[in-house]
Amino acid sequence: MTQVRFSTNERQVSAPSHFALVHYGEGELRESLVDFLGPALDDPKQGIYLCGPPGWGSRLLGYLETSLGRDLRAEVAERRIILGQGDPDVDQQLQNLLDPVRELCERGFSPVRVVGPADWDVPGYAAPEDFLWYESRVLPGIQGLPVAIMCAYDAARLPASALLYGALETHSHTLINGVLRESPSFISADDYLRTRLIHLPWLEPGERRDVSST
Amino acid sequence: MGGEYVGREAPGLQRGGMAVLDSAGTVTWIDEAWTAIDDEGGLPRAPIGTNLLLAYRGYDDPRAQAVANAIDAVFQGKATYFEIEHRVDRQSGRSFLTSVAGLRGDGAGAIVIHSVVGGSAAPNPLRSMDVRSTNAKIRDGIERLTPREREVLDLMALGLDNRAIAARLAIQYTTVRGHVRSVIEKLGARSRLEAVARAYQMGLVPT
Repeated sequence: MTQVRFSTNERQVSAPSHFALVHYGEGELRESLVDFLGPALDDPKQGIYLCGPPGWGSRLLGYLETSLGRDLRAEVAERRIILGQGDPDVDQQLQNLLDPVRELCERGFSPVRVVGPADWDVPGYAAPEDFLWYESRVLPGIQGLPVAIMCAYDAARLPASALLYGALETHSHTLINGVLRESPSFISADDYLRTRLIHLPWLEPGERRDVSST
Repeated sequence: MGGEYVGREAPGLQRGGMAVLDSAGTVTWIDEAWTAIDDEGGLPRAPIGTNLLLAYRGYDDPRAQAVANAIDAVFQGKATYFEIEHRVDRQSGRSFLTSVAGLRGDGAGAIVIHSVVGGSAAPNPLRSMDVRSTNAKIRDGIERLTPREREVLDLMALGLDNRAIAARLAIQYTTVRGHVRSVIEKLGARSRLEAVARAYQMGLVPT
């Protein structure tokens, strides 16, 4: 099993893995981005995929370049760093993640590191229940691949429904306040649809679609 | 229902409680009798006046520990506001952690924990009419599904993505996409998972 180490301290995750970074604001996201992706930037054998809601792939690249004072256009041009984005069609969004990741693996990059910020109930992006389904399908989709995926949940911006259902329940591990640990609330993909998704409060018959205050 | 934990009721959590976290990180527990009418069930809420974090830490249950972690994060100023509903079913005696909600702030916020004890809320007649009307539309949509769309819906309800459905039915991926769009539209849903939830609710697929 491939170990994926971070820049600082002894932290590392096993690949494949799909963990949630719960951060507070953009500053913490930048720090965690550099911490997680730094080792890959210094190792040409490793690949990177930056994704998220529309526009976030480029934005994350910009964060990296300004934080590290590096120009990463060459890595993007040779597709060692791939920029992608989500899609209102959630199945397409899943393929938008899995296709580039498989491409990087097939081209021999190992490990492949992925970062994608979460968003919730915004126009032009998957509906919250679809987004949760997507999150639950990520880990089965990367089985057997040397891939570590960090999904960033901004506690300053997202409602707690997103944190509870998304960060805690669809990721096997969480990285909160610098501590990486198993998520006690994790529900495997096999069980997630029947035990959680179809019972989401805003999907109950006659319920209002208020997904931010449930 | 997901998120349940059974038989681990703490007496203090039978009532609601409130604590205020100010921008300096100070937590003030409100101990005075505080009552409010729950807008869902007309049930009173009252404070527990105890250290909620310790109460949740006291549960030997990973979900309660997750709640405690969330509360802890609020105390540390790392998260903002969480509201947790702890529902107890009168007939079964089972308790449910039903929801956690959040508000945003600048490091300040409040924690409100309340329980709903004693069963379900009184039915809302307007909501019942909405449900009947919606169900009629869904039934109409179901009748318009083609046999192939029903097959696709069954596989969507298993959680399969479009590529897996295409492989299972030995049809083109783009064809599956078309069927999925049609299913969502006919069931009057806004999303893939809402269509799946409606299929379960209407008994179209076995739970």
